[in-house]
Amino acid sequence: MPKTIHLKVNGKQHTVDTEPGTMLLYVLRDQLGLHGPKFGCGLSECGACTIHLDGAAVRSCVLPVTAAEGRAITTLEGLGSVDKPGPLQQAFIDEQAVQCGYCINGMIMTAQAFLDSHPNPSRDDIKQALNGNLCRCGTHMRIVRAIERAAKNWRKAS
Amino acid sequence: MNARPESASATSDISGFGASRRQFLKTSGGLVLGFSLLGPLAALAQQPATRIPASPSGGAQTFPAVDPAKLDAWLAIHPDNTATLFTGKVEQGNGSPNALAQIAAEELDFPFDKLFVVMGTTTDTVDQGPTYGSMAVRYAGPQIRHAAAAGRQVLLSMASKRLHVPVEQLTVRDGVVSVTGDTKRSITYGELVDGKRLDVTIGATGKTFGMKVAPDAKLKDPSQYTIVGTSVPRKDIPGKVTGAFTYVHDVKVPNMLHGRVVRPYGIESNLLSVDESGLKDIPGFVAVVRQRNFLGVVAKTEWGAIKAAEKLGSKLVRKGPTDGQAKWSDWQGLPAMDDLWETLRHASGKDITVAKRGDVDAALRKGAKRFKATFRTPFETHGSIGPELAIADVGKGYAKFWAGTQMPHQARRDMAELLDLPVENVEVNWVEASGQYGRNGLEPVMADAAIMSRAVGRPVRVQWMRWDSHGWDPKEPPIVQDLEGALDKDGNVTAWHHHMWVPTFSDTRLLASELIGKPVGQVHLGDAAIKYEYEFDNADVVAHGEGRVGVITAWMRAPGQLETTFAMESFIDELAAAAHQDPLAFRLKYLKEPRALAVLNAAAKQYGWKSRPSFQGRQPGSKATGRGLAWVNRDGSRVATIADVVVDRDTGGIWVKRVVVAHDCGLVISPDGMRNQIEGNVIQSMSRTLHEEITFNRAHVTSRDWASYPILTFNEIPDNIEMVFVNNSAKYPSNGGGEPSTCPTAAVISNAVYDAVGIRLRQTPFRPQRVKAALARA
Repeated sequence: MPKTIHLKVNGKQHTVDTEPGTMLLYVLRDQLGLHGPKFGCGLSECGACTIHLDGAAVRSCVLPVTAAEGRAITTLEGLGSVDKPGPLQQAFIDEQAVQCGYCINGMIMTAQAFLDSHPNPSRDDIKQALNGNLCRCGTHMRIVRAIERAAKNWRKAS
Repeated sequence: MNARPESASATSDISGFGASRRQFLKTSGGLVLGFSLLGPLAALAQQPATRIPASPSGGAQTFPAVDPAKLDAWLAIHPDNTATLFTGKVEQGNGSPNALAQIAAEELDFPFDKLFVVMGTTTDTVDQGPTYGSMAVRYAGPQIRHAAAAGRQVLLSMASKRLHVPVEQLTVRDGVVSVTGDTKRSITYGELVDGKRLDVTIGATGKTFGMKVAPDAKLKDPSQYTIVGTSVPRKDIPGKVTGAFTYVHDVKVPNMLHGRVVRPYGIESNLLSVDESGLKDIPGFVAVVRQRNFLGVVAKTEWGAIKAAEKLGSKLVRKGPTDGQAKWSDWQGLPAMDDLWETLRHASGKDITVAKRGDVDAALRKGAKRFKATFRTPFETHGSIGPELAIADVGKGYAKFWAGTQMPHQARRDMAELLDLPVENVEVNWVEASGQYGRNGLEPVMADAAIMSRAVGRPVRVQWMRWDSHGWDPKEPPIVQDLEGALDKDGNVTAWHHHMWVPTFSDTRLLASELIGKPVGQVHLGDAAIKYEYEFDNADVVAHGEGRVGVITAWMRAPGQLETTFAMESFIDELAAAAHQDPLAFRLKYLKEPRALAVLNAAAKQYGWKSRPSFQGRQPGSKATGRGLAWVNRDGSRVATIADVVVDRDTGGIWVKRVVVAHDCGLVISPDGMRNQIEGNVIQSMSRTLHEEITFNRAHVTSRDWASYPILTFNEIPDNIEMVFVNNSAKYPSNGGGEPSTCPTAAVISNAVYDAVGIRLRQTPFRPQRVKAALARA
């Protein structure tokens, strides 16, 4: 039976009626209209659905919606907008680090959580942090450069 | 602002401007979508325009085609002096909208950032042929260039009348026409057109790739180019990195339901029974759709559809034909994996002679040294990160689709055939999908959605699960190739024999159409997929083109030519090594074509190539470094690639450390876009070479996820991919760049591995266990 569930997404409270076993990804996309997280595999293998749960990068395709209740959910939309991109998003724009862009949500969400705890990463650290995220177009070189650029900008700013 | 004007005045003081002769696009009335693409201009400016039109239900609808002979088929100018370019080509992640818009903006003398692009939708665009084969810029580019040049002439003649001066005294800059030497007398394109349609005949002959548009248009002298040849930022990227971009996966239409497919257990299994018990308990469950061997479920929510499909048997691992509430016959007709190569050799087909020169058999007999090698490459999946998806709304007398297909106009015809509708009653609204790299399942999934929508009488959105995509997308075919060659006593090549067995990469049968017993699409025979350029005295190059072998196979990025280049360029490397000659110099001896020589020399220069034979003996330590070289002529684009690899003798791991690509596709429209494409080609083909292989049992594909079908990960990327453009000049018309740099990679890596450790890898993928086994044999 559907259940009423309270979710805090990108700082805003939402109430949704959904099957408790539904994975969070479908609630975000279909009920809240947040299209940043993408369906890629449903198996926690590719990372396209990555979101932040209390600041940690998690795969929303295998996270039952009930497990996200009472926790801070952040999606790609929570990091910035077209008019005001976040610093990491801006670095992806500056490096033109997109081909089809379907995996990019996972790249940015994973990299953001990583940079939040590793402000001064080496290139190898970045590659390791993203090693569980798949890109099929082969945009890897640019994605790494974008993350390096963002890290460098933050170091300059701080 | 991104569609054509909604209404136009029939009165105009400009000769040739009359009432529109075709239905205007209606973007209001019935348009109730979960988002708007006609929103604030700021947001629009960040995303190539994509029209999501209304979907009024009920009654027959017709969707007239666009007349390519009319200027408004290609161009709309809006009152705020923005403009829209319409093209039947589509974006697949390659950045083609940028390149095509740069060409149009250049000829129009219009600011690039104010020119938006509408792609693919059948009611809005001209059928310029499918977007495949690295042919968008090559063929659609000149069509758009001519249309835009004709548009500029029309606009100038309008301005001439408004400003009362001859056209020769007018100057255009950024879409503003002014009297030369008197900039106060000026008018914008937007003011000139005043919201009307550009209903002017510019002329067009021929069809799709061969269409000639506005043949008499006066083109700009390329020496005056200011937009073509520059790197302009892609308009879609801000939306894609913030979640604002609308992929086809994000489209919702009113009254829409969610569908999932349940595929047969074995590829040709028959559906015996479906036990529907318990399905009604799944919240949102609507219906099972069963038609012969086609099986699907429809529900109000995605989760409901997923759970219902799972009950019937849709899951990652299926234990048998009765695993799930749908029962299938136990079909076991696929060859054993180990027998695949023999199966290919004995499949029926037709021989295609690529080269026949001299007497190869005699030359082989007479050769001082004789060599033989067989190369094997497996089935591969496109593996789009977003599984295939389409929305269909099939009603009485009409069908509408929202789809990311690379061929919306052909898909429209196929859907009409599937649904027994006149083509005029079918519309395909194109919306960008996850990258596709060829014919993945984006057309087949339209048939799934059509059948389900027709059955339930409502729009149905069907997304494949990961295992549907890996398991059932049309695959790159496996190829087996036998090579033989001979050297004389001085190390010259005297004989070259190359036979290949190539299943079709043009099997366009729609899976669901076969399952319902009404096949739509054709199974063509395999093609040669090779451009043989070496000038050996005795040569015999033959492709045995075959039909379907086991599973549906269709084109994947540079279809067949990654594989044939692997064989050809590895084998010539073997001959060079046997002759104790430098592999670059050895190739150059047998090539005369200037553009081939140019890319090889450019790559060597960038790399810093020093002449020496390959493999200098065992290197100390567990890790050995080697360099490899290969080149290709892919449909007129020449690419030479050199790479350094590190082979770990202990683990069998291969790391491609540095890559140099010399690339000649003629004039480069958008240099950063081209670099992005080359990087993508190199990485993706490295992945195919090092990791990728579809596995199967006798019933079906078993590598149905990323764990069983691994691809390249970040830890394996090179330190550098260096690129050099060769013949990047208007003297050389723009050729394709979406695929060619895929072709050399497998040969480059194989040759570099030989240079490092002295073993020849002749079967992809080069997974560590295979490398270790080859090292152990050496």
